Amino acid sequence: MRRFAIFHLLPLLLAAQPDFFGYFETEGDAMQLNTETYAFGYNKLRLGMESRPNEHVLIGANINIQQYWGQTTWNLFDFIPGYSELDLQMPMNISDTLLLDNVYMTLHMPWADMTVGRQQISRGVGYAWNPTDIFNSKSLLDPSYEQTGVPGVRVDIPLMYNLSFSSFIQPEMDWDLSAKQIWFKSTLLGFDVELTAAQTQWPYWTALSTLPPVDKRLWGASAVGEIAGIGAWIESGRYTMDGLDTHGEFHHLWDEVVWGADYTFENSLYVLGEVLFNGLGEVNKRNVQLNNYFQSFEGITRSLMQNYVFVYASHPTLDYVTLSLLSISNLNDYSATVAPQVDWNIYENTTISLQSSFFFGDNDTEFGIQDWGLRLRVRSDF
Amino acid sequence: MKLKLFIFTVLISTSSFGADDLAKQVVQAVTDLMSPVNSYSVGTQTIRTSSGKIRTFEFEGWSANKGEKTLTRYTKPAAIRGQAFLMLNHADDIWTYFPRTKRVRKLASHAKKQKVQGSDFTYEDMGGGDAFLTEFDASYLGEHVVHDINCHQVLLMGIPAKDPPYPKMLLWARVSDMFPIQIDYYDENDFNNKTLVLNNIQIIEGVPTAMKMVMTDHKEHSSTIMETLEVTYKWDPPADFFSERTLKK
Repeated sequence: MRRFAIFHLLPLLLAAQPDFFGYFETEGDAMQLNTETYAFGYNKLRLGMESRPNEHVLIGANINIQQYWGQTTWNLFDFIPGYSELDLQMPMNISDTLLLDNVYMTLHMPWADMTVGRQQISRGVGYAWNPTDIFNSKSLLDPSYEQTGVPGVRVDIPLMYNLSFSSFIQPEMDWDLSAKQIWFKSTLLGFDVELTAAQTQWPYWTALSTLPPVDKRLWGASAVGEIAGIGAWIESGRYTMDGLDTHGEFHHLWDEVVWGADYTFENSLYVLGEVLFNGLGEVNKRNVQLNNYFQSFEGITRSLMQNYVFVYASHPTLDYVTLSLLSISNLNDYSATVAPQVDWNIYENTTISLQSSFFFGDNDTEFGIQDWGLRLRVRSDF
Repeated sequence: MKLKLFIFTVLISTSSFGADDLAKQVVQAVTDLMSPVNSYSVGTQTIRTSSGKIRTFEFEGWSANKGEKTLTRYTKPAAIRGQAFLMLNHADDIWTYFPRTKRVRKLASHAKKQKVQGSDFTYEDMGGGDAFLTEFDASYLGEHVVHDINCHQVLLMGIPAKDPPYPKMLLWARVSDMFPIQIDYYDENDFNNKTLVLNNIQIIEGVPTAMKMVMTDHKEHSSTIMETLEVTYKWDPPADFFSERTLKK
């Protein structure tokens, strides 16, 4: 699929005299973990191209060039409570990248839209978590950051005025190995309602084990609208997982649910809250094992534990200066992080963001293991 | 004495009925003039903040069914290029599209009172429709000269049960053709917090069009100029144009 995209769509795009756009982003980070302070960051150029050879066709691509500095090799055990004091090594190296993030062609036909190629797939109505998204995992400290492209074919078919059908297939060598998702979207009582089903091969096991991926299926639904003037949404997924482990065949079933609400006050203060229930997560921190951490780091599981609360508030306090506060709480191990942020749109298309993060909880908890973090980011769009 | 009182009462009632009737006529005419059946336009939105900083946005806008359905897509600056919002049912239902994440999000009604891209216009201000007719009681206040133009002045008092966007408004419309040239918006404390001035009125395809609208926020000392660079009223919306599908295009 990737070869198809590079060899066929990219030259086609460049030959079509596209519009170029994108951004340059530079970030510097500092954090304290287990009494050690680390400094790291990156410089990133994201170059986007789009061309419309005619009104029915859109060809687009995004290329990321990212160069890292400072601490680029991490020992994953340093992030795991109980293991950080041991002399164990699992190095993870972050190297400079040149990534063809997206390259796609969209055909707008009277009866359907079809997008072929590596493309961004953003599923679900939740802000911090999306239980109906099998393709992405989000950074909780920056949930609205763009997602990495997924190679595949997407088809959107409007069936009637407020009912549509969509499908996405990420083709692999055979049908069973191919990830696929379908969803119906409609409007009911003022709510946007979606029903979805998906199937994928899931690397439930991490680098620590050599077992093959397992078959994961999803039945999900979401609704977004308002109740008494307050924005409200729910997104839920029922997952089943079938596979083989060292004890033989196994079958797991669990639910993931996100409830959310938001409101903007007369003084422009915007507040958003979300609650996550992840049936696959552990309830007691004593039951959290090494593999749980690795699965969480790699985005294989939605969360390490079962119950979380996410709160975000922002206010445009001064001309082009927005103050915001983000907090994530783990209700099972009683740890949390609070991250105040300042965004200053200093010039047109240029924003400086400063985020600090403070971590609370015992040293053997998900967030308590870290002390603090600081992030300075400058981004200029073109 | 009884006859005199009867005549006086009849005169007052008649006069009062005539004034209210005229107020309704003005508001009806303003509503019709401000809500052409369909339109496509290209415009700029220039925001001057309270500290004097200026930012300019460019957008394309589509409107149908007398403003009941609108779609606006920003083309500049680069940071918000492609960001779009779809408003149906006179801005009762709003969806926004964020091209960076390719997400469409339905906004709750509290968002209607929010500033569009930090400007002095709210989503509700841009929603069009017949709110002046259905959500306000109109009273005629006579003829006044505003911006050197002879105008009808109409007081619009919000009907609380209809959840009007503002509790009170004052409207001035040209006597010659009833085209509005100024609207003052008042808050709950009867403070005139915003003023909209419409000027450079041109006849485009037979429709009087304000090529420039200036909204001034007297509380925050900021202003926003909306200028129309290009407009046509001969645009016919394709079937299902005002949909999530178009929003994402």
